[in-house]
Amino acid sequence: MSAETVITFDDVDVVFKEKKKEAVHAVDHVSLDVNRGDIYGIVGYSGAGKSTLVRLINLLQRPTSGSVTVLGDDMASLSASELRDKRRKIGMIFQHFNLMASRTIADNVAFPLRGIKSKAEIKQKVAELLDLVGLSDRADAYPAELSGGQKQRVGIARALASDPEVLISDEATSALDPKTTVSILNLLKELNTKLGLTIVLITHQMEAVKQICSRVAVMEAGAVIERGSLLDIFAHPQQPLTKDFIDTTMQLDSTLETIAKQPAVQNLGPNERLIRLTYLGDSTDQPIIATLFAKYQVTANILFADIQSLQDTPFGNLIVVLTGEAANIDTALQFLKDEGVTVTAVQIPGGKK
Amino acid sequence: MGIIEKFFPNVVPLWSGPDGVVDAINQTLYMTFWTTLVAGIIGLIVGILLLLTGEHGLWENRPFYSVLDKLVNVFRSIPFIILLAVLNDVTRFIVHTGIGPTAALVPLIAGAAPFYARQVQNALLTVDPGVVEAAESMGLSPMQIVFRVYLREGLSELIRVSVLTIISIIGLTAMAGAIGGGGLGNLAINTGYLRYQNDVIWVSLIFIMILVFAVQFIGDIFARKTHH
Repeated sequence: MSAETVITFDDVDVVFKEKKKEAVHAVDHVSLDVNRGDIYGIVGYSGAGKSTLVRLINLLQRPTSGSVTVLGDDMASLSASELRDKRRKIGMIFQHFNLMASRTIADNVAFPLRGIKSKAEIKQKVAELLDLVGLSDRADAYPAELSGGQKQRVGIARALASDPEVLISDEATSALDPKTTVSILNLLKELNTKLGLTIVLITHQMEAVKQICSRVAVMEAGAVIERGSLLDIFAHPQQPLTKDFIDTTMQLDSTLETIAKQPAVQNLGPNERLIRLTYLGDSTDQPIIATLFAKYQVTANILFADIQSLQDTPFGNLIVVLTGEAANIDTALQFLKDEGVTVTAVQIPGGKK
Repeated sequence: MGIIEKFFPNVVPLWSGPDGVVDAINQTLYMTFWTTLVAGIIGLIVGILLLLTGEHGLWENRPFYSVLDKLVNVFRSIPFIILLAVLNDVTRFIVHTGIGPTAALVPLIAGAAPFYARQVQNALLTVDPGVVEAAESMGLSPMQIVFRVYLREGLSELIRVSVLTIISIIGLTAMAGAIGGGGLGNLAINTGYLRYQNDVIWVSLIFIMILVFAVQFIGDIFARKTHH
């Protein structure tokens, strides 16, 4: 598949120099491609450089070195007016919505079109957009009268006003409650499918990435430390930070603490082993747990099981105590690996003697 | 003999005629109006320049900002009564006279414009930087952002500081009046105070207060209209 690349970061560096302070390396030699139609998630904790990175796309931030190419143009080489034209092709939504308090909802959405389109065209476009985000009945309200989720919908409508090809989402759901977050993410997904909109989404919530992203990059201290398709990243995370993010999303870290307190786990016998099994999609066709016993006389006591859907592919996490002859367990684990299941021995923190 | 003649014996003969109360009111209105207009325009432009060239501004330019910033500070630190004296020669050069309401306009504008510039800068700094960034991301030019974001979003704050400035200008006209500018300040000091005619002082004060309250009242109406 040769998808068209719409955004290319080529060895981009951003260094902030403040007087009398140490220089901050906000973006550290990042190279990244975003293809048309991607929902590209960039995750990382606060201060990892995500916001700076996405601001390079519409040149709200200039690179110290390296280049950012968007829709065929090196952003830094554009003249001021070319840059303004290009920015209209790149919509942006924000964590705190950034709506204008002095203007009505309709005027906020119309704002980017003023002086570019005729009044009649603007009126029609605004009506379409408010319909798209489900806020037609609030056209004459002011932002202060809206809930957070509604404000973000206005933000999205405004960002779409000039028919952008790329949408940057800067922590757009971080200030919203979980239910509203889901509805906003679904809206973004819908726009991606309906309009073919390419979305770059930055967040510290792996949950958001899990729900809609097709590709993921993980950032730490300005650098992209891991990247890949959503399924790859979830099934085979390499970096500790990535694993950490995924475990938090799956609530595995708190589950492990609970499991560690169980007597069955604290007093593991010589023929027992605590194992975590992770599998993706088609490895679930085989009734693996049943096979373990039928073939290897290994029983599995399931302490925790969770199956989630990633881009309509089942993603399973199991924590089990396997009981059987040591040699049999080893063979059984090899069988699981051959079936495409990721097998990890679980260490219990502070296990009792 | 009416009650007015009883309590305001010196005001009654002074009411109309040259240098009378009506004249003084007109002169104060004249000085306030022109100072507000000219200092308002200068202050607005300088205030916007301070905003744009200051830290994180759309035209961030440290040397330019630092010069303008210091200039504003220098003018703001001169006590107005001394500014009146210092600018005497400049005034003569510009308006060819050292006394009267028109001559007072020069120091009044020089005193009020830097004050207003700083107020404008601070008022516009209250506009959410996120909204400015959003406008930038939509492809607006800096001038479009000034007119369509800063002046619009900062309008109620701008009205507040404008009312504050006009009221302080009324105060300055009284001082300018006392040293030759005319108006209600001149009436209160040179007629009322120096001739021990307390009723004249009181009448001057009442009219100045009416003026201040009127400005405040109108400002509040505008501020309420712009607030959402």
